[in-house]
Amino acid sequence: MQFITHASQDPWHAAGGEDGPQPHPPVRAHSLLTLEQWHAVRQTWPATVPAGITLANTVDIETLAADLLRFGLVVLHFPKWVDGRAYTQARLLRARYRFRGDVRATGDVLVDMVPLLARTGFSQAQLRADQKLDVAQRALGFFAGHYQGDVLQPRPAFARDLRQEAGPAAERARAELHAGQGI
Amino acid sequence: MYAYTDFDRQFVHARAAQFRDQLQRHLAGELPDDDFKALRLQNGWYVQRHAPMLRVAVPYGALSARQLHTLADIARVHDRGYGHFTTRQNLQYNWIPLAQAADVMDKLAAVDMHGIQTSGNCIRNITSDALAGVAADEIVDPRPYCEVMRQWSTLHPEFAFLPRKFKIAVSGAAEDRAAIGWHDVGLQLKKNAAGAIGFQVLVGGGMGRTPIIGTEIRSFLPWDQILCYLEAIVRVYNRYGRRDNAYKARIKILVKAEGQKYFDAVEAEFARILAEDVGAGLQLIPQAEFDRIAASFARPAGVVPAADLPTPADAPLPYQRWLQRNVHAHQVPGYKAVTLSLKRAGLPPGDATADQMDAAAALSARYSQGELRVSHDQNLVLPWVRQADLPALFEVARAAGFATPNIGLITDMINCPGGDFCALANARSIPVAAAISERFADLDEVYDIGDIDLHISGCINSCGHHHSGHIGILGVDKDGSEWYQVSLGGSDGSTISGAAMAGKVIGPSFAAEEVPDVIEAVIDTFRAQRQAGERFIDTVRRIGLPPFKAAADAQRHLTAAH
Repeated sequence: MQFITHASQDPWHAAGGEDGPQPHPPVRAHSLLTLEQWHAVRQTWPATVPAGITLANTVDIETLAADLLRFGLVVLHFPKWVDGRAYTQARLLRARYRFRGDVRATGDVLVDMVPLLARTGFSQAQLRADQKLDVAQRALGFFAGHYQGDVLQPRPAFARDLRQEAGPAAERARAELHAGQGI
Repeated sequence: MYAYTDFDRQFVHARAAQFRDQLQRHLAGELPDDDFKALRLQNGWYVQRHAPMLRVAVPYGALSARQLHTLADIARVHDRGYGHFTTRQNLQYNWIPLAQAADVMDKLAAVDMHGIQTSGNCIRNITSDALAGVAADEIVDPRPYCEVMRQWSTLHPEFAFLPRKFKIAVSGAAEDRAAIGWHDVGLQLKKNAAGAIGFQVLVGGGMGRTPIIGTEIRSFLPWDQILCYLEAIVRVYNRYGRRDNAYKARIKILVKAEGQKYFDAVEAEFARILAEDVGAGLQLIPQAEFDRIAASFARPAGVVPAADLPTPADAPLPYQRWLQRNVHAHQVPGYKAVTLSLKRAGLPPGDATADQMDAAAALSARYSQGELRVSHDQNLVLPWVRQADLPALFEVARAAGFATPNIGLITDMINCPGGDFCALANARSIPVAAAISERFADLDEVYDIGDIDLHISGCINSCGHHHSGHIGILGVDKDGSEWYQVSLGGSDGSTISGAAMAGKVIGPSFAAEEVPDVIEAVIDTFRAQRQAGERFIDTVRRIGLPPFKAAADAQRHLTAAH
């Protein structure tokens, strides 16, 4: 899980103007577009420049299935942290549409959500301003494994050799998997 | 009983450690109330009138003697010496200081228990038949399936924050003792003509402000596909369930609004999960895994079939009554299941003191292979009692206050904690239950009234299942005082009650003091009108509400009938 802590170091930038999003944003690397902007440019946007897209949690990922290969980043939004719709969007992006780019959580993102984010396929999280990075990293470390399959581990517990999930080697592997690094 | 593996055990300890971390941040002022709320709820911690309430999960109602001793210890050390068994087969404490919460979770984890998902907008503790694995009318033992679903639903990352709570109930017997029609998902295990096992799947049932009975979405789903099918049901709900209004957020509202469209969406989602999703095939339950879990539920080695014993015709009346009401048919010859009644004078329905919990645990160790069940109607059940032990068990159960022979009768009422404890309640339910118990203290009269379900809820959240009572009582708040709505003709879906349905209200609400008189008038009307062999619910169905309403209205001295 990568934590987006400084906007200045985030390569992705919204294609905004003084009056909000530009209706027809110019082609630039690491442009983060709204759904409306994407619809305006999708016919002409070059395949060689991966776009970023920001989606409301009501968007049906299916409607973008044909475009997903052209995205380097999908930003999913949590208007309130207890609104869990974006978990389903992320899981579908990974498990059904095999999306390989980054999936980022924004909005009301709390440290205690991070294990759920990781397991549903988010690779990046932009924590709410008052949240602490060290607590988020600690939150990833409580469980050695889970019962049901998820994006990180598609095998449910009953399809794994659970003896390998305890002990120091497994602890190390887990630490590497979850290694949080701020950018 | 299910035997925890090392994995299960480290999992509940990890959950306790995670909760301790969250609690410490909260107590240190780093995690504000608003954010902590959803975290503590998913560990069973409510904030109530007097103190936090802890709801401990009792998965599908199965408890060991050791676990119940620990629950007693927690009641004694951390609470005020008692707990309350709920209609969802859980146990609630009302007085544990929040600062002790993490210690209590550690104590629970030490006996393979927890409060995971006993509250919050997530998949709740899965409930089942209290007689699962012992019922004489069992078609398929639901417990291994419940356990597979418990594991699947526990900390499911996609479904931790649904629009609203989500309750699943499973029955595997001819008689529905789990009220499956009243759940978000109700599952009935059955065998098809070829002998294959599958689930009838109901969806969209629920109580609350808008009582609705679940609708069949699948008549027969092969058992090994249940996790993928539940995933489809819950995913469609997570995406499209309403989040703008908590009263319209349950899946029943979505199912009612969308009807066939919802069903089609679930079937389409299910097909895509199976055909397209990474790892979907791995969620089909392998026979070997099912067998591993089912082995946990093998009949205890100490249970040895024996000849059925005849009931002594000359036994004293109290013992005969106990045999008739509290002792149930068993699938093993020579055995019975025995209900320990938690409905007795002087204590709220479903409550047990720490000493009583210890006593019940000791009874289970002595007479029931160390195993107990919590029933949906808030009693304890000893599932493995030798018929030869019944006379001795009767004597000790009676001495311990567990032998009130009232199971299924008017004093065996379902009751929520109500306004005495619950911050949500509009009115108290315990004093109403006590007043009715007092009014029907004569056991001969109680037997004459016969089978009846009396359910009392302190508010529209319906924890006391008033909708499904033959008589339902609902606490309502008008101008800051307590009033009670009375409904008749509800059913939980059991054979004697008929198809699950909500009762009908018999007029404006009554004042608290009027309620016992109203109930008595309703019962008197039944006794005057019944035909030979008729139960209360039969008479209500035959003659309709007006005679009952008239009798109830005649009791109004503080309220008006219109």
